[in-house]
Amino acid sequence: MEKKYKSAYYSHVVKIALILIIAGGLGVWARGLFLPDTMGQYGHYRGSDLEDQRNVELRNHTNESCYECHRPIRLIHKAGVHKTVSCEVCHGPYADHIKDDKYVAKMPVKRDMEIKALCLRCHNKIIRARPEESIKVVAMPQHLEEKKVDVGHNCNQCHMVHDPLLWVKAAYEMMGMEMKGDKK
Amino acid sequence: MSVAAHGETIAAVSNYIFPNDFHVHWSLMIVLYPYITGLVAGAFIVSSLYHVFHIKSLKPVARFSLLFALAFLICATWPLLNHLGHPERAMSMMLTPNPTSAMAGFGYIYSAYFIVLLLEIIFIFRPVSVALGQKATGGLKTLYSVLAIGSDNVSAKALKLDHKIIGFLAAIGIPMACFLHGYVGFIFGGIKANPLWATPLMPLIFLLSACVSGIAGIIVAYILLRKLSGKDIDVDCVQTLIKFLWGFFILDFTFEMLELFSHFYMANHHWHTLEALYSGPLYNTFWVAQVGIFSVIPFVFLMFMSLIRFKDGLLLFFAPVISVMILIQVLLMRWNVVVGGQLMSKSERGATTFHPMWLEKEGILPAIIIMVAPVVILWLIGKVLPFWMDDKGAEAA
Amino acid sequence: MKENIDIVDIKKEIQKDRRAFIKNVLSGTIAGSLLMVIPAGAALDQRLPEQLPGMRGDDSPFTEKKFAFIVDVTACIGCGSCCVADKNEYNVPDGNYRTWVERYIIDDHDEVFVDSPNGGLDGYTKARTDIPHAVRDTFFVPKLCNMCEKPSCVQVCPVGATYKTEDGFILIDKSRCVGCGYCIQACPYSVRFLNPVSRTAEKCTWCYHRVRKGLLPACVNVCPVHARKFGDLNDKNSEVYKILREPHVISVLKPGMGNQPALHYLGLRREVV
Repeated sequence: MEKKYKSAYYSHVVKIALILIIAGGLGVWARGLFLPDTMGQYGHYRGSDLEDQRNVELRNHTNESCYECHRPIRLIHKAGVHKTVSCEVCHGPYADHIKDDKYVAKMPVKRDMEIKALCLRCHNKIIRARPEESIKVVAMPQHLEEKKVDVGHNCNQCHMVHDPLLWVKAAYEMMGMEMKGDKK
Repeated sequence: MSVAAHGETIAAVSNYIFPNDFHVHWSLMIVLYPYITGLVAGAFIVSSLYHVFHIKSLKPVARFSLLFALAFLICATWPLLNHLGHPERAMSMMLTPNPTSAMAGFGYIYSAYFIVLLLEIIFIFRPVSVALGQKATGGLKTLYSVLAIGSDNVSAKALKLDHKIIGFLAAIGIPMACFLHGYVGFIFGGIKANPLWATPLMPLIFLLSACVSGIAGIIVAYILLRKLSGKDIDVDCVQTLIKFLWGFFILDFTFEMLELFSHFYMANHHWHTLEALYSGPLYNTFWVAQVGIFSVIPFVFLMFMSLIRFKDGLLLFFAPVISVMILIQVLLMRWNVVVGGQLMSKSERGATTFHPMWLEKEGILPAIIIMVAPVVILWLIGKVLPFWMDDKGAEAA
Repeated sequence: MKENIDIVDIKKEIQKDRRAFIKNVLSGTIAGSLLMVIPAGAALDQRLPEQLPGMRGDDSPFTEKKFAFIVDVTACIGCGSCCVADKNEYNVPDGNYRTWVERYIIDDHDEVFVDSPNGGLDGYTKARTDIPHAVRDTFFVPKLCNMCEKPSCVQVCPVGATYKTEDGFILIDKSRCVGCGYCIQACPYSVRFLNPVSRTAEKCTWCYHRVRKGLLPACVNVCPVHARKFGDLNDKNSEVYKILREPHVISVLKPGMGNQPALHYLGLRREVV
């Protein structure tokens, strides 16, 4: 004899089907709720990120930004052989110094042997692969010996860092000599 | 080091690692993730061998395999969530899955598989849930009522309907299990930038090693749990499992070696980096451990155990021991693929090193916790649903 | 006119006491007398030079340009200025590199030695002492995002956090990146890393924010020897257009990957990976 059951023989299957449909519906609803507004505006990404990317803080400026205030240096630097050297590589990024057109902090100044280290980053002859046509390289301390100066000298005692040949040229001029390789 | 001939200058190794390549981004957690999903897929296949392919001798473990799979599937996402830089954004994978990304499918494939496995369990255990629910009280009664989907109907008509649905779920479960794990292999196999991963064989190897680890896991768990509870062990069932284990392991090990041999034989410009890796940082974990100890020894033993009828006592001793070795082999394989692939810098000139720490976020301790969790979950499941046919309440089926 | 007067003033200053002068300049006192008052008026980005023509005032989501980046391997002196500027621009956490400079040394036995200590951020101050034979050739290779036509990183990002703009930039939406690291695995050039602070993927953007303001990428702007070049291939007068049209030795990295980078190398050697 068949036992009596409260539920129909298919009731659990119907319930499961309903649960799956409701869960799927909830999923679709939740997806609409959490989907970023501009998702898919231009492609499979949040379109408004383009705006965010454009608003990334500008921290390095250009030498021109520094020259706006540092005018004497501007004239020296722009006229000399170091004109392609960036102010901010040696001194630090503009944004650490000026924020919203206001002075916020002093730029760190390189001193003594730090200056020599900076010079040798580019001008050290022992690092080969530095084409002579684009950069003058020197070996230390041979360069100092060759120039007959004390080997304890720092680079900036002869070379003004912002235009390394400024004083050297002036010295040659004063002596009435012509500088080797000087086309001018 | 031999001097590179002219024309082979690119091959000269100077141990230069790209500055961003020192750090191994995918570490223990990503080793565990395919390991756990592999155990799930393999265990499900054991169950399907009975439910779909009617391998009658596997009846004693057919139900347990499903619960085993569920316990591990629940934890499959844990290592991933622990790995993500922003786990709170994990649902983005389902919100905005990138159609071109091999990883984006995970959310949906995992969910679909979870639903199928859960439904399969609910339908198979429904008569048990109804029977146990009638005896239970309080919260447990509610739980059984939920598991029985609020139905008490276990008439012949209802069970016939259930049986049809079980067959259907098991049948779609097989391709899904294969897909889930083959797909995990493709996450690695589809990365052309990594010569160790980029091979069409990767999904196949992952799938076969998944089957191997799942069967081995079931053998160990079955024998261990039955021994611990002082119940009889069905030797015929173990013998059949061992035969299937050997069969899958033949394929698995063959493809693993074939993959390496193809690289070696074709010797394209990637081979020198792979060669450096296999003879250097991976020598111990790959050649000595994965291949030498944990593949060759189980391979020989499985062959004898399948071809010669061992005495029961001997079989029940060697079966779990060899299965544990196989489980270690698969874990080593995951390690050698996941971590090994990243040791080699994309500079093709050098390899970095990786040593897991105990207490870091993705360290050894979290890994142990994640591997112990499924065992605890399985124990909890065992409190509610009977693992074995001879357990109390199970006879209702 | 004013500049002439300035020059005379400076020359006088220098003649007076060049040490005192340089000290004053460095400590900012001479300049300082002027600099407390910053030229007001025009907005900052209007005062900046327009290094890339036609970018100012273009608010459309995508420009009509086709940007290309060229690295001249024969010009690079390995000073690492680009690396310094890049780290400053983005506050890149130590040990991660949006751009770096590699040093290649090839000895006369054709063995290749490559290094990049701290990504070249500190410059190259020491010669390698572990080269067994006489050195045949040596050069520097700066690396950065290749901005691929077919970017692997965009292909694999599971959530659409990294994407390619219609004008060719590959960018990362920091607010959507889940930090899975898949893009890091997929990039053949290893230009990506996981920022330990934001816990999201990060890489070189060719300074998208600068470019959209008409400025050159920070590394291009600071390169003292013009080894890094950036421009618009749709502009037939641009330097990059001319270089890529003329019969130079030009290649991309790992061409076999099929990613089709928009980063080109002038004078690239086959030893470079």
